[in-house]
Amino acid sequence: MSSAVDHIVPPAVAEEELFRAQVYALLARLLARPPDAAFLTALGGLAGEGGEFGAALDRLAEAARDSDPAAVEEEFTTLFIGVGGSERTPYGSFYLTGFLNEKPLAELRVAMARLGIARADGVTEPEDHIAALCEMMAGLIGGEFAPEDGDTVGLDGQRAFFDRHVGSWAGRFFADLETSPSARFYRAVGAVGRSFLAVEARAFDLAA
Amino acid sequence: MTRNAVKATDEAVKQGKDTQGTDKGLARRDLFRAAGLGVGALGAVAAGVTATGGTAEAAPAETTSTGYRETDHVRKVYEVSRF
Repeated sequence: MSSAVDHIVPPAVAEEELFRAQVYALLARLLARPPDAAFLTALGGLAGEGGEFGAALDRLAEAARDSDPAAVEEEFTTLFIGVGGSERTPYGSFYLTGFLNEKPLAELRVAMARLGIARADGVTEPEDHIAALCEMMAGLIGGEFAPEDGDTVGLDGQRAFFDRHVGSWAGRFFADLETSPSARFYRAVGAVGRSFLAVEARAFDLAA
Repeated sequence: MTRNAVKATDEAVKQGKDTQGTDKGLARRDLFRAAGLGVGALGAVAAGVTATGGTAEAAPAETTSTGYRETDHVRKVYEVSRF
């Protein structure tokens, strides 16, 4: 890597790979903070293209049309922030060990350093938050990071990161979200995430 | 996805070559399409999540010896901090 500028412009990415990055970005957006009115309206226009994932997208669109921003924000707070403990704890370490900030987080930080991923200034949440991990996957697919060894992250690298830090627990998280008592809109988000990760895992197997 | 699609992709893999763009790459692409992950399914939402401000922003981490000129942008990886 001769200069920082070289990796500012991501390399060309095949269409279906670009779409994967978009789904990860969508999940990251929805799990980082609740959607505002404009974003809900856009989500309401989604139309799936068949399959379990397409059906999940259709349900997300329907849920978006049936929701108002204030209600979704309240739902988000109850699910993920909640006074006296949220309904769901969207961190890898928690899912993998039962506790926050355990060894899986330390391992993630090592992987991030190697892949050239840094946490934004001012962010205080541990890096193994589901939204952060989805964003990292999107960035890896889009070639937006600059790995230590100067190489690009291919499917093998994506798979290694996915298996270790995402696939190992996020499917369970999304399934939990799908059945959360307080969830309405976010049940549909859970279904989109769960069905997408299932396709991801299978697709990595195909490429192996 | 349909049973046939699964079968087709599995067959493709059995005969598979070993790199992207070969049969495995095709099988992978077919799997995504059969699963409803077609390009364009996200429509306007895709633009919404990739545009600035709509989502957290991913960018390369700062590396050594390239100076700090781009620090504000370059160090910014994600912003799940609005809790």
